[in-house]
Amino acid sequence: MHEFTLATALVERLLRIAAEHRATGVVSVEVRCGVLQQVEPEALRLAFVALVRETVAQGAALRIVPEPPAARCRACGRAFAPRLDDYVCPDCGRADAEVLAGRDVVLQSVELVTADGTAP
Amino acid sequence: MKIQVVESVLKANDAVAAENRRRLTAAGVLAINVMGAPGSGKTLLLERTIPHLAPERCAVLVGDLQTTRDAERLGAVTPLVTQINTGTGCHLTAPQVTAGLDSLALDRVKYLFIENVGNMVCPAGFDLGEQRRVVLLSVTEGDDKVAKYPTLFQVADAILLTKVDLLGVLDGYRRERVYEDISRINSRAAVFEVAARTGQGMEPWLAWLRAQRSP
Repeated sequence: MHEFTLATALVERLLRIAAEHRATGVVSVEVRCGVLQQVEPEALRLAFVALVRETVAQGAALRIVPEPPAARCRACGRAFAPRLDDYVCPDCGRADAEVLAGRDVVLQSVELVTADGTAP
Repeated sequence: MKIQVVESVLKANDAVAAENRRRLTAAGVLAINVMGAPGSGKTLLLERTIPHLAPERCAVLVGDLQTTRDAERLGAVTPLVTQINTGTGCHLTAPQVTAGLDSLALDRVKYLFIENVGNMVCPAGFDLGEQRRVVLLSVTEGDDKVAKYPTLFQVADAILLTKVDLLGVLDGYRRERVYEDISRINSRAAVFEVAARTGQGMEPWLAWLRAQRSP
């Protein structure tokens, strides 16, 4: 359930952005989620919904987009796409991968409702 | 109005972790994040490791949802123990470790063991500022767990197969399956087979630990 920690950080950032723009509502939130981070999208969604309740972001649609994995072999330098259960370098056959992408959770964009409908 | 943010949700934790790491390195402390399932033998391993490493210079931060039981056990081998109760949190975070570091005289510490909350998924995603990550897998958990929880094993600098003294009573346990899975996920990690209860296999693990201080 690290989804709850991630959702907490996400909602904190979201509410700060909404406050900075004096938003009256949040239409949608897009999050890029690394496929190697083992985030359960439904658990993230559930935590998000619970955390935005009675805030300006209540009712916001959460869009979770998977971030594809990327790695570099520490032994031979080859760049490749690992799988969650397979980090073997296609060139040298070693599983000594430095993960470059696919483990992050990124707040990509937010769509706000502002009083005058324009950016402040 | 749509706003492009493109900012990691983990950024706040990672920034604190980087500061923890800087503090630890400056004080000459080797910090080891010890992870594994509940009951994989983390506390017993530390109870049997610390007496071999100048106990007065070993500190432990131990994370659990509830109770101070682990801290009480470890208090018998070193006075420098801090229990962190995470409440509902299934893993430690970097700010919790910062609070733990504040409770220690770091310049007197050589080894800091951070015993994470027993869990095979969540701790893998959170940098605490440690310099090494150690993952325990007890043989009683079964031979299929490396493939089931790959991220935890992928981030490990060392993997300890624990409770190997019980192998004789585990029908159908295939040790080679564990090694096959490790070879596909993390061939860089040092792998040790230990039984902390009997002392079997402890010497190579202790030698590895000492070597991490003087690379």
